[in-house]
Amino acid sequence: MRPAFPVRLGAAEESLIAQLKAVGADQVAERVTVAGLPTRRVEAYHYTDLKTLLRTIPPLAQPANEATGTGLRIPGAFALSIVNGVVQNAATAPEGVIVGKTHGGVLTNRDDLLVNVNGVLTKDALSVTLEGQVQQVIQIDHRIEGEAAHVVDATKIFVADGASVVILETFSGSEAAHVGNHATYIALGKDTNVTHVTVDLSARATSHFSTNEYHLADGAQLRTLVVHAGANLARTHLFPKMSGAGAHANVTGLNLVSDGQHADITMETTHAVPHTSSQPLFKSITRGRSKSVVQGKLIVARDAQKTDAKFMHQGLMLSDDAEILSKPELEIYADDVVCGHGSTCGKLDEDSLFYLLSRGIPKAEAETMLVRGFIAELIDPIEDEALNEALQGIVDTWLLGK
Amino acid sequence: MTTPVLEIRNLHARIEDREILKGVNLVIPQGEVHAIMGRNGSGKSTLSYVLAGKEDYEITEGEILLNGESILEMEPAERAAAGIFLAFQYPIEIPGVATMTFLKAAINAQRKARGEGELSTPDFMRAVKEAGAQLNVDSAMLKRPLNVGFSGGEKKRAEIMQMALLKPALAVLDETDSGLDIDALQVVSKGVNALRDGKRSMLVITHYQRLLNHIVPDVVHVFSDGRIVESGDKDLALQLEAKGYADYDGQAA
Ligand SMILES: Nc1ncnc2c1ncn2[C@@H]1O[C@H](COP(=O)(O)OP(=O)(O)O)[C@@H](O)[C@H]1O
Ligand SMILES: [Mg+2]
Repeated sequence: MRPAFPVRLGAAEESLIAQLKAVGADQVAERVTVAGLPTRRVEAYHYTDLKTLLRTIPPLAQPANEATGTGLRIPGAFALSIVNGVVQNAATAPEGVIVGKTHGGVLTNRDDLLVNVNGVLTKDALSVTLEGQVQQVIQIDHRIEGEAAHVVDATKIFVADGASVVILETFSGSEAAHVGNHATYIALGKDTNVTHVTVDLSARATSHFSTNEYHLADGAQLRTLVVHAGANLARTHLFPKMSGAGAHANVTGLNLVSDGQHADITMETTHAVPHTSSQPLFKSITRGRSKSVVQGKLIVARDAQKTDAKFMHQGLMLSDDAEILSKPELEIYADDVVCGHGSTCGKLDEDSLFYLLSRGIPKAEAETMLVRGFIAELIDPIEDEALNEALQGIVDTWLLGK
Repeated sequence: MTTPVLEIRNLHARIEDREILKGVNLVIPQGEVHAIMGRNGSGKSTLSYVLAGKEDYEITEGEILLNGESILEMEPAERAAAGIFLAFQYPIEIPGVATMTFLKAAINAQRKARGEGELSTPDFMRAVKEAGAQLNVDSAMLKRPLNVGFSGGEKKRAEIMQMALLKPALAVLDETDSGLDIDALQVVSKGVNALRDGKRSMLVITHYQRLLNHIVPDVVHVFSDGRIVESGDKDLALQLEAKGYADYDGQAA
């Protein structure tokens, strides 16, 4: 349906429409023409109005030769990389890891422009199948190199029944006004144990968008951790779906925002069958004039009895000028469930700080200890030592004000 | 005459618009233990916080000298490195900060500030084990986040253990006896007395005489309405216990 007044299209929308038409994606192009980029009137973009925040979309990326290096090196990890949207040839994969490519997008189609754009602009997606107890951390290193570019890439991961694995995705690249639109689809088989960590370490000028979709079969155990610590505009959209009895997801995330930055984690978890649980826990740390957004929606289907789910968002403000925005939503169609939400927001506790100072710990160090304490719940459960240390390092670097 | 460890001259301090300390004068020579006794609300904890450098208070008049040097311009961490230790009346629980990490950070920060090298991990572990054994602080407590889930008594023992590890020149113990049963009181007092070495000075704040049977002070001061109104030897504590503080109420202006 066309709105009564057609939206005025900006430069970003014009370039996006041209890029979409060039690949024959007329339907999506039409959508942009009619509705433009999502504005605050679109519920899921309420606090992250793309029409205002995204003024330009650079040309689609060219394959790149040079690489400015990964944002995060994990000793012992098996690294795969996607540079400017192109899946790179990998070294010999360890046991239980099968690497390949699939054509086209990986996400379930839904009413979301970034998902639609990713679906039609992805050429070859990375595909990874994981079996058994995978010992090495599987790292997927996304990089955007060279001049400002619009990069679209996608990854599809199958975790076979009974398998366990730790997957890390990192995003980084050259200092330019890139727009990254990344998609990851993970199917967790029965009784799998999966940790999925995504870390945005993009250059400040970049706008970073990720959509992560998870499907959990019977007994699957998922832990996700999203860390935004790079781009000026970063948004990760999470869609976990609990599709098998006994499935459990710890959906977690951390927005680290400094002056001028805007980070958004928006989650929509669906409990589709009885006896599943999820524990979404998000934290925001802000300083300077910055904005952190966390939205969490729990959808419980009509027959998904005994669902146990609680959304929590905790904010820590290190400055007076920052904004922390929180929007929990419950959409519950079953009657025998335990669901809830909560959010808190505050500064570093003065009494705790004084206690540490009074023992001779200098102020900067004491603040670091308290901030580390604030996010310990998110980092501590990451059992792989090298990864845990690297994540701690990201937080420490951020605190030092990189 | 040698310089006293602590000298407080006509100290006035306020919080928001309210004056709490109204002209405190106190001299503690090296190696002496002084007790301050006074009613609840008379300003004893305020004095301890002002000594440790808590920001909430405004010093409007007076001077605090540690070993002859003014500390009023010093940050709390600098004061700690200079030798002041406050055993809190209500030790803070800090979830997410591991006790051992905290202890190591505190010891090494103070060593660094004094130009000494870091303590090696084995030396640190040995020191913690020793101090812990003396104060019944077991390894299960040390594995918990700082003070989290500690009972009142455990918190007080942990405070004295920190004092044993940090070896301050001046220890201020704020109501270390509150919330302790008689056994815990003995453990804590023994720990404190073990740190009386003839050089370390202490300021023991309490409003019960009971503690002073265990930690016998060289001088007792009576605190009322923000100042010291009388000083004497340890018998003064016994008189106070018998008569109460009523005699001093009129004296406070
Ligand atoms: N943060 C504060 N704001 C205002 N008044 C305070 C504050 N803290 C303490 N006071 C007041 O200062 C007085 C002295 O308190 P305190 O030093 O704790 O006494 P004591 O330790 O002797 O019981 C009390 O009347 C108390 O109410
Ligand atoms: Mg008190």
